[in-house]
Amino acid sequence: MTRDLLARLRSDVAAKRPVVLATVLATGEGRLIHPFDDSGASDPLLAEARQAAGRDQSGVVETPAGEVFLRVFNPPVRLVIVGAVHVAQALAPMARLAGYDVLVVDPRRSFATEERFPGIPLSHEWPDEAMARLGLDRRAAVVTMSHDSKIDDPALAAALRSQAFYVGALGSKKTQAARRERLRQMGFGDADLSRIHGPVGLPLGAVSTGEIATAILSELVGCLRRPVGAAGASA
Amino acid sequence: MTEEALYHEALVRLGRAAHGAGRLALADAEATADNPLCGDRATFRVRLREGRIEAVAHQVRGCILCLASASLVGRAAQGATPGEVAEARSRAAALLLEGKPAPAGAWADLALFQPVGGVPNRHACVLLPFDAIAEALQRAQAPR
Repeated sequence: MTRDLLARLRSDVAAKRPVVLATVLATGEGRLIHPFDDSGASDPLLAEARQAAGRDQSGVVETPAGEVFLRVFNPPVRLVIVGAVHVAQALAPMARLAGYDVLVVDPRRSFATEERFPGIPLSHEWPDEAMARLGLDRRAAVVTMSHDSKIDDPALAAALRSQAFYVGALGSKKTQAARRERLRQMGFGDADLSRIHGPVGLPLGAVSTGEIATAILSELVGCLRRPVGAAGASA
Repeated sequence: MTEEALYHEALVRLGRAAHGAGRLALADAEATADNPLCGDRATFRVRLREGRIEAVAHQVRGCILCLASASLVGRAAQGATPGEVAEARSRAAALLLEGKPAPAGAWADLALFQPVGGVPNRHACVLLPFDAIAEALQRAQAPR
């Protein structure tokens, strides 16, 4: 790899821009492919790079010019937890252990405190404002759990307008039905609403906050890692 | 207190009208107040001219009580003196805490918040916009 290529790769990683390093194994010649940008559109390996980045899985592909190693450099998965509640106190450190960038957003300053969330990045913005600032991409997940529709609803609306791979909403079936109705009033259709995992989490029969957080994190991992189409299967 | 009684139609209409909502070019001062328990947040900007509020604008995130209160302040504070706004806050607090009647005139719609009197933990929703504009007015009048 040339010094120039390394510099560009490092700058993409620093900017949290998904990038794939394609190395022709016979020659060692390398180039960068940005799988989700227009600049990558002309690359003959775009489809393969996109698939590798989408699965977050590096590997060798066969081409007419020989074998090419596609090395994926994805930005970390970002999890935005809306509502600094008890379940969030369990979910935030667990998601961090899983390697994700976690942000807990709650405009209720008395909930989102350092004492309750030691070492976890906190925001007192309204969640839709925080998400607009962050710019949610396809590596983002959003889970709402504030139990206050005035905070959760705008967060879900912002999440549904983004490419976030996972959108979850804590709440009972009854709460979910009322929420869906409110989101419909805001102009969202069935396809949008079907993206919301609610009741949130795998059906583990979770009871304690730690168990509920486990169910949520497990579902999120499934949506991230399992091939499309299999994500809904029971685990 | 039922939700229907608290969020009655005239109050919801006042909130949706959002009088004074938006930003203000050339403001003399601004201030933000928030409620750490419910997340409501009100930012008020004011411009004074010869001791009166020439222009007022607000940006509010909050419940319908807070939005309705901001809407009332955004309408009634226009042309008022800072002293009149302070008096209106006192009248609002007296209405909520002691069930006193709303004043006549520009602030008569304070009467719409009468049902909130029976729900102490929601008083702050109504008073938050008053606190924000009071702070903004104080800053606008501070010697520079």
